[in-house]
Parts: sequence; structure tokens; C-alpha cells
Amino acid sequence: MDAHGTRPAGASPDLPEGRDRDLDGLLSRVARGDEDAFAILYDQLAGPVYGLIRRVVRDPAQSEEVAQEVLLEVWRTAARFDPARGSAATWAMTIAHRRAVDRVRSAAAAAEREKRTTMLLPPADDVADAVEANLERERVRRCLNGLTELQRESITLAYYGGYSYREVAGLLGITLGTIKTRIRDGLIRLRDCMGVT
Amino acid sequence: MRLFRPDMHVMAGVYALDGIDDDAERSRFEHHLRRCQQCADEVRGMSATATRLAFAATQQPPAQMRERVLAAAARTRQLPPAVEHGRSAGEARQRRAGRSVRQSRPVPRLAWGVVAASLVVIVVLTTVLLRIQGELNRVNAHQAAITRVLEAPDARAVTERTSLGGTATVVYSHARHALILTSAHLPPPPRGKVYELWLLGPPQVRAAGLLPTTARGHTTPVLVNGVVHGDQIGMTVEPAGGTSRPTTKPILVLPLRA
Repeated sequence: MDAHGTRPAGASPDLPEGRDRDLDGLLSRVARGDEDAFAILYDQLAGPVYGLIRRVVRDPAQSEEVAQEVLLEVWRTAARFDPARGSAATWAMTIAHRRAVDRVRSAAAAAEREKRTTMLLPPADDVADAVEANLERERVRRCLNGLTELQRESITLAYYGGYSYREVAGLLGITLGTIKTRIRDGLIRLRDCMGVT
Repeated sequence: MRLFRPDMHVMAGVYALDGIDDDAERSRFEHHLRRCQQCADEVRGMSATATRLAFAATQQPPAQMRERVLAAAARTRQLPPAVEHGRSAGEARQRRAGRSVRQSRPVPRLAWGVVAASLVVIVVLTTVLLRIQGELNRVNAHQAAITRVLEAPDARAVTERTSLGGTATVVYSHARHALILTSAHLPPPPRGKVYELWLLGPPQVRAAGLLPTTARGHTTPVLVNGVVHGDQIGMTVEPAGGTSRPTTKPILVLPLRA
């Protein structure tokens, strides 16, 4: 989500290894209608966008559909991206998550969603992922393991599961106040562990 | 700037994870976010954290998706940058803070609606075209089969009056094991009846199709395959839909002499 105010100078990037700067630069070229830049940006973002959507939506065909919508929206609205309000990666992932959640929260998808029983497990077919993604996954897993079980479950259900905090509270059998606190505390801990601003 | 409100502040996490499904509740928080710099900073950091979760979930998308997205981009007009009319940049930024992505959503929705509608039209047109093509193929095949009989070296033509009036003309070829039958000035069959053709052979009697309804006294050529030596072509009046055995006295019997 974007915050107003400028990004503090010298702040830690959202992504390690300078990938943020690359993506920000690409996105500003995309905003000027550079199709080659969009192709490169696609190669950088399609994996995370699709992977995140798969986590939330589960169904491969629907995920592909949503991912296409998201990536085309990145192209279409690139000029509306404001680097002062966050990184290009975060901007794109925010769109991706929202679209995925819209898809599963729509009434038509409600029944389908009931079938998603193994939500906490990643789909089995992502073994062939890039080394880089595995590295990032390892980092994130380590940080997730540093959370309390309740924090970890709440965050995973809300983000990867696409559940609203009310639904998460229902699933875990805890109060709304508790879930809000646990998610916030957990995210702060994750953020610090990952070295995000 | 509003004083720090712990009850609102605690929402930052669920907001950053897109976990608020109640629009009014989300609006309230966004309203607060515009007045609480601390909250906005916190949401930013948490959103960035969520981005890391997304990258950790990276999966190889289907290969064909790339070409489709790039092609779609090539024919999709981009939005111009947001221009802030009559409002200070700071104010505008505050207004845009939060759910700018959600605000820009209806247009792509519409665009995809148009794409979806176009796809439906394409599918329908393709189906129609294929059906027409199929029809044409069938007609062509039919014509070709008729031509093969007409051009057969042993083709012979016979015309005979039916017992109900009018004539039937048969072109047959034993080399092609086929015949073509047309009729002229045959009276329309009685209500609820049809003219049915038969191959009357020494081995057996075989149904050979129905005579099409006549147009201006003529019937379009009927192709009958499976003609063997010794067969005669016969025509009877049968109930609509035809029967498997002739049930009435033939109005026409034509020997197909070699």
C-alpha cells in the first residue's frame, strides 16, 4: 500500500540486490510507452505476480487470467505510478493482490473457494522456480519462522489466503481486536527481519 | 494533523495486507491515514514487507502468457499521468494516497469487458464460419460425388414416367457403384407423406434415401451409393420420415442395366 510523503533517502529498498531501482527505472520507461522496457519488466514481475495470484486464487486458469489483467494494468497505468509513494514492485504487487482478492471474494468464486483446503501449502508445481526466487523464499521463510505461530498463521491466511481479517479471526477462533494486533505486530517483526524500511 | 489514535493505528497491518473487506471501514482508515503520517509510514513499510512475501511466492507463469500480455499491451492505450487541477500537489497526493489503484480500476474492468465481448464475437463468428465452411464442404463433396458419377465412362441416363405423373431421371454408373436421381413435374407427396427411394436388388431391398421436396416442379439431385449389378431403383410413397421397408406399391421401378 502506498503512503504519502517522500521515500526517505537512503532507506532500505523493498527488494534486495538493487532490484527496486531497476524496476522503478523500467516502470518510468514503460510509462512513456516503451514496449521493450515493458517486456523486461514483464520478465521481472510476471513470476511474483502469477505466484502470488496462484496462492490466493489457486485455480491455474483463473490465476492466469487475473495475472494477465494485472500485468496489462501495470502497462496501462504506469504513468500513474508515483515513486515518492513506494517502489514499483510494491505498486505492482498491491494491484496483483487486490485483483486476486477481488476474484476470490466475488460471489461466483465463493463456492470454488470452499474447495481450497490446502491453502497454506504452496502449489506442488512450483519446484522449477528460479534460484533467485528460492533464495528470496528462504529469506522469507526464515523470517516467518521468527514469528509466533498465531502471527504467522494470521499473516499467511490474510495475504496468501486472501482472507479478510474477519474471516481470519473466524478461522482461528480469536477476536477481531486480537487479529488486528497480531497481524500488525507480526508484520513489524517481519519487516525488521527482512530489513525493509 | 490528527492525534495518534491507537484504535485506528492497529488497523495498519490488516490494511496493508488488503484484509479489510468492508468498504466503509476501509474508507474510515484511509481517511485517518491522510492525517496520520506515522500510520502512513507504517503502512508503507508493511506493504513493502508484503511485497517480499509476494516475491517469495514466485512461480513460473504459463509460457504463452508472455506473448499474450505483450501483444495486449501493444494494442492498449496507456493512461496519461494524473494531472492535478486547481489543487496543490500536496493536497492531491494526500487525496491520492491509499487506494489510488482501486480508483483506477473500473476502466481496465471495462477494457477487459470489451476484450471479453470481442472474444465472444470472434468465437461466435468463427463458429458460424466453420458451420458455413462445413456446409460448403458438404455441398462441394456432394457436387464432386455427383460429378464423379456423371463423368464415369460407363455412366448411363434413363428417364421414366412415374405412375403419379412427372418423370424421374437417373444417371447411374456401375463402375462408381452410384446413381443420381432427379425428378420433374412430380406432384407433391400427399400431406404427411414423402417419396422414398429404394435399391431393389436380387440380394435385398435397401432404403436409398428420401426425395427432397420439389422446387418449381424439380428436385435437386439425390446421390445414392452402394449400387450393385442387378439393382433396380424404385420409388414409393411412405409416411414422413421414411420407413426401412417399402410399404406401398412403387410409383417407379427402373432397371439399371449395365
